[in-house]
Amino acid sequence: MAGAVVRLDGVWKKFRRGERHDSLRDLIPALVRAGFRRRPASDLEREEFWALQDISFDVPPGEALGIIGPNGAGKTTLLRILTRLVRPTLGRCEVRGRVGALIDVSGGFHPDLTGRENVHLRGAIVGMTRAEIERDFDSIVEFAGLADFIDTPVKRYSSGMSARLGFSIAAHLRPEVLIIDEVLSVGDAAFQRRAFGRIEAMVKGGIPAVVVSHQLERIASLCTRAMLIAAGRVVHHGSPADCIAAYVQQPSFPPAPEAVLSAVRLDRITLRSAPPIRSGERLVLRVTGEVPESSEIERRVVGVRVRDLQNGSVLFATGTRSNGVPLAPGRFVLDAELQMNVAPGLYAVETYVWHRESDRDVLNGPSTTVHVEDGAGFWGTVQFNARMRLADAAADGTASA
Amino acid sequence: MASLPTPHSSPVPGRPAAEPRPSLRAELREMGAELYEYRELLFSMARRDFLLRYKQTVMGIGWSILMPVTYMLVFSLVFTRVVKLETGLPYPIYVYAGLLPWNFFSSSLRFSVNALVANSGLITKVYFPREVLPFSVLLVSLVDFGIGAIVLAGMMVFYRVGIHPTIVLVPLILLIQLAFTGAIALLVSMGNLFYRDVKYLIEIVITLWMFATSVVYPVERVGGQLGRLLMLNPMTPIIEAYRSVLLRGTWPEAGPLATAAAISFGLLLVSWVWFHRAESQFAERI
Repeated sequence: MAGAVVRLDGVWKKFRRGERHDSLRDLIPALVRAGFRRRPASDLEREEFWALQDISFDVPPGEALGIIGPNGAGKTTLLRILTRLVRPTLGRCEVRGRVGALIDVSGGFHPDLTGRENVHLRGAIVGMTRAEIERDFDSIVEFAGLADFIDTPVKRYSSGMSARLGFSIAAHLRPEVLIIDEVLSVGDAAFQRRAFGRIEAMVKGGIPAVVVSHQLERIASLCTRAMLIAAGRVVHHGSPADCIAAYVQQPSFPPAPEAVLSAVRLDRITLRSAPPIRSGERLVLRVTGEVPESSEIERRVVGVRVRDLQNGSVLFATGTRSNGVPLAPGRFVLDAELQMNVAPGLYAVETYVWHRESDRDVLNGPSTTVHVEDGAGFWGTVQFNARMRLADAAADGTASA
Repeated sequence: MASLPTPHSSPVPGRPAAEPRPSLRAELREMGAELYEYRELLFSMARRDFLLRYKQTVMGIGWSILMPVTYMLVFSLVFTRVVKLETGLPYPIYVYAGLLPWNFFSSSLRFSVNALVANSGLITKVYFPREVLPFSVLLVSLVDFGIGAIVLAGMMVFYRVGIHPTIVLVPLILLIQLAFTGAIALLVSMGNLFYRDVKYLIEIVITLWMFATSVVYPVERVGGQLGRLLMLNPMTPIIEAYRSVLLRGTWPEAGPLATAAAISFGLLLVSWVWFHRAESQFAERI
């Protein structure tokens, strides 16, 4: 797998809104026009737009790149370029090694063929040899949990069944490069866990991977790096935590005026408590930054907030002002303590500066992810510090006579 | 924090250009290697198409015999009872020996015109050499051709034609026909992907083409300018060659058959390279 390469170099992709000439009647004028002038590929004509602009990355073996961004950002186009379905208008795409593309795994089955016939066909389509399919056939069927239905036509399958079968075939390809698009959510919870475990094992085994998912938690736990794209451009490229933070914080765009922005600098956030952090335990963080001489620090608040990475919502935020911490000009080192009264899962702890007058976050600083593990034990999502004791049964008036 | 980009900015000059096209030699090598790599897909696809073609039919494989046999009966009625056509052979076997290869050609085209479009779900999702789709159609039609050939063998027994040593040329003639059919199949499947007019056009073309070929009557009889023009059609020498080696026991006329072979292989090369170059647009334009 040392030879596997996944590289994009300055990739641009142009698309056209609406239909092209789809019948011969429109072809002739189009050909005449094209014959008269050759326009460079970098020009945009009416109705054309850049779906991707200047995307570059390199995923060496052992790395997994997560790609996040809003709908229509160009994530699917990017994957289609990586899987050779479309060619970049400008720039280069280089993918070497057997590609395992886990994209829309439930589609493309032939409804009239049985599960068995479809496994053979799909296996051949994704590039497995007959011998490989024969060897892995039982394992594919077993992983999909479809042993009883393998000779049933796929048209009688539920959507979950075909998705499971599709995933299972793709996962048995023994790829050298993994390209994954939103397939971490096929099947029921048990299948999702198994599917995720399988992908995780492949990635941990050193197979370079590119992963697109809206499940930010999956990106955070699977990927070594991430890229946030919006409107076809790279907005942020760095650690998954930073990208996720940049993505979920995007509603605070457009940024405030420059003068307000530059007032306070946030340099870094570090975890002071050693992992594992368990539900209900205290988490100690340190935030460092600098307050310039000229700034009106009394109008600003440096804060930390906790975000649930499963859905991107802010669970909690607190600032220097409400904690009675005075900030003075100069460098500061701020320690914060949070009791992680939350269910096990992945959370982001983010730093920010809030401006009182405009009542907005004027700066989103560095962030980090915290993996909260199963603790002393509570069920649910919030810790209510419950207390229970036995009361005197005889004194209870509501007891039935 | 970066600001949100706009979708209308232009690339900075000096960006890496799209990959340069490899030399024709490298391209041909790549095409061959890819098709070899995906040979099992070719057979799996053909198997699928064959299973599907006769699935939920009562007649099943019988349909592949019924078509040429029906045509043979109709044309035999017309050209023996209504108009007497002199071909030097019993007319039913003359026309069946034409209809059988013709049917292989025309059904290949009829099915390949939709070969790419009908599989758009695959084309937009998975990468594989797309020529597998029209080529697998060819393989399925070849099976029908083989089954139809059993009827021809039966007729040869009935008319006491016997087996001539010239039969050894059948594989060569079939190879020329495969090349020509493959070339046209690539063109029509690709054409229909970009312009759906092709699937309507192909029906008219097939009908006209049949009467421009020596299927039901010898085209040489047309004569004149039109006759010379019709002789350029590779299907006529191909079908005539089958009749020569199977029914008449004579070697086929070398000139026309060699010309047909040159046209067939030349066209296959051109259309395959064209197909291969257009392939990268299929997923976007389908």
